Amino acid sequence: MPILLFIIYLSIGKYYISPLSIFNENSIEHTIVFNIRLPRAIEAMLFGACMGISGASLQTILRNPLVSPYILGISSGAAFGAALSIAFFGTGYFFFAQPSAIIWSLIAIFLTFSLSRFRGQYSSISLVLAGIIVSALFSGLLALIQILIEPEKTHTIVAWTIGRLHTVTWKDVATSTPLAILGIFGLFIFRWRIFLLSMGDEEAKSLGIDVEKERILVVFFASIATASVVSVVGIIGWVCLISPHITRFIVGSAPQILLPVSISVGASFMLIADLISRTIWTFEIPVGIITTLVGAPLFLYLMRRAMYEWS
Amino acid sequence: MSGVKVKELTFRYDKEVVLDHLSFEVNKGEILAILGPNGSGKTTLLKCLNMLLKPKGSFFIDSFDISKFNEKEIAKFVGYVPQIHSLVFPYKVIDVVVSGRTPYLGFSTPTKKDYDHAYNVLNKLGLTHLADKPYTQLSGGQLRLVLIARALVQQPKILLLDEPTSHLDLKNRVLVLKILREITSEGTTIIMSEHDPSLVSIFSDKILLMCNGKIVSYGKAKDVLNRENIAKVYEVNVEIFERNGNRYVFPIVI
Repeated sequence: MPILLFIIYLSIGKYYISPLSIFNENSIEHTIVFNIRLPRAIEAMLFGACMGISGASLQTILRNPLVSPYILGISSGAAFGAALSIAFFGTGYFFFAQPSAIIWSLIAIFLTFSLSRFRGQYSSISLVLAGIIVSALFSGLLALIQILIEPEKTHTIVAWTIGRLHTVTWKDVATSTPLAILGIFGLFIFRWRIFLLSMGDEEAKSLGIDVEKERILVVFFASIATASVVSVVGIIGWVCLISPHITRFIVGSAPQILLPVSISVGASFMLIADLISRTIWTFEIPVGIITTLVGAPLFLYLMRRAMYEWS
Repeated sequence: MSGVKVKELTFRYDKEVVLDHLSFEVNKGEILAILGPNGSGKTTLLKCLNMLLKPKGSFFIDSFDISKFNEKEIAKFVGYVPQIHSLVFPYKVIDVVVSGRTPYLGFSTPTKKDYDHAYNVLNKLGLTHLADKPYTQLSGGQLRLVLIARALVQQPKILLLDEPTSHLDLKNRVLVLKILREITSEGTTIIMSEHDPSLVSIFSDKILLMCNGKIVSYGKAKDVLNRENIAKVYEVNVEIFERNGNRYVFPIVI
C-alpha cells in the first residue's frame, strides 16, 4: 500500500510524470523526481511512520486513546527551539533551526520526565500531567519570542509551527533518518512489552517486567522518533493521533500487530495528505493544514465507531 | 520444605504500620484464605507476597527467598489475579491469556508453542469458546476466569488472588472457587483474600483472620471461625452452624 502510493505520489503534481520517464538521466523529469519529489516523499513517509508508531505506542502504554507524542511536550519544545534560532539568526538560516529544534525537544522531554517523578516513581498520569505543564511552559515562551521579534520572523515561526514539506531537501532526509529509524526500530522491538505495559503497572509487574525501566525506554524511543522528524518539517498535527486509530480500526488493538501496521498507515496517510496539499489548489497549501482538516472529521467518524464497539 | 513460609512480615506506608509482624505457613497444594474487614491489610499482604510492595521480614517459597529475585524470576514463582482490572483496549482473550508466558519469553513475542499452552489452559477452565472474543465484552465471571487463566499460564508455584469472588453472583462464586480447588490438586498453592466466612470454610484448608494489620487467629476453619473471633474482628454477632465439617456463619440482626 505505501509503495503503490509512493509511485503515484512521485508521478502526480504540477507536471504529470510517467513513472518510466525518470530513467532518462538528462531529462527534466529525472531532476524533478530525484531532487524535489523523492526527498519530499521520503520525508513525508518517514514523518508518517514515526508519528504512527509513536502515537500507537504511547496511546497503548499510557492506556489512553487520546494521547499523542505532542502531549509530552515534544512539539512545544521543538517549536520553541526553532523559534529561538529564527529569532537569533534570522529567517534565512533554517540550517540552525533544525538542530535547535531537536535539542529543545529533547530538553522538553527531559523536563517532562523530571517533573513526573513523584516519590521516586513515574506513573502514567504524572507523565501526562507533566507533559501538559511542559507544553504550556514552552508555548508561553514561544508566544513571548513572537511578540519580541520583528513581524517577518514571526511569520516564519508561524509557518514552521503549522508544518510544511516543500522545503525538504536530501540533506533534511539524511539528518532525520538515523534517529527516526532508531526510534521506530526500538518501538518495534518493544511491541510485546508495550502490550504488557497497557495492562496496568501492577499487572505488568506481576507478569515479570520491570515496568518503570521499560516504560521510560518506550517513551524515549517514541520521543526521538518524533523529535527527529518534527525538527525537520515542523509540527504537522493529527497524524500521530489519527494513524493509530485508523490502524486499530483495520487490524484491532493488539500492539504486536498494531505497531508495525501503524508505520505504513502513518506513511500512507502523510503521502495522501501531501499529495492533496500539492495538487488541490493553484498554490501549495501547507500539509499541516490538510492533515488537520482531513484528520478532525475522520477522527470524529472513527471515534463514533469505536464508542459503538467498545460500549 | 515445600510450600510457603512467611516470617515476621512487616510493611509500613510512610510511618503507619499496615502489616505488623505476620508469620504463617501454607503447605504445597493448600488453599489459605485471608479474612478480615475492609482496610485490615488483606490486599497489602497479597501485594507484599508478590513483591509489588517491598516489605520487611522473610518470605520463602519452597525454601527460595523470593525477596532476592527480580521481576521475571518472581513471575515464575508467583501468579497474581487482581481484584480490579481496568479495561482500555478490546484485546482478544487469547492474547491476554498468552501474556502469562512473558517470564519465559526473553524479549521476543510469544510463539505457537506459547499459544498452544494458553489454549490448553483455556480448555481446562472451559473457556475455549471465548478465545477470539474481545475481552472487553466478557461478563464479570468470565473476566475473572480469564485473569485466572493468564496467571495459570505463568505456571506459578503459588497463586495469589485478591477477592476472586467479589462482584460475582452465587453461581459464578462457586464456579470460581471450585476451579481454584481443582488447581491445587496439581500442586499449586493458593493464597486468596475473601469476605464470606461460610464459603471460605467450604473451599479452604486454612484461614488467616486479620484485623488492623495483625493476625487475630490462624488455623483450620473450626478453630478460627467462632463467635468470639468474628465479634472481635467484625463487631457483628453471629450464629454458627456446622454441617459435614463445614461452618456456616450467619449474622444476627435484630
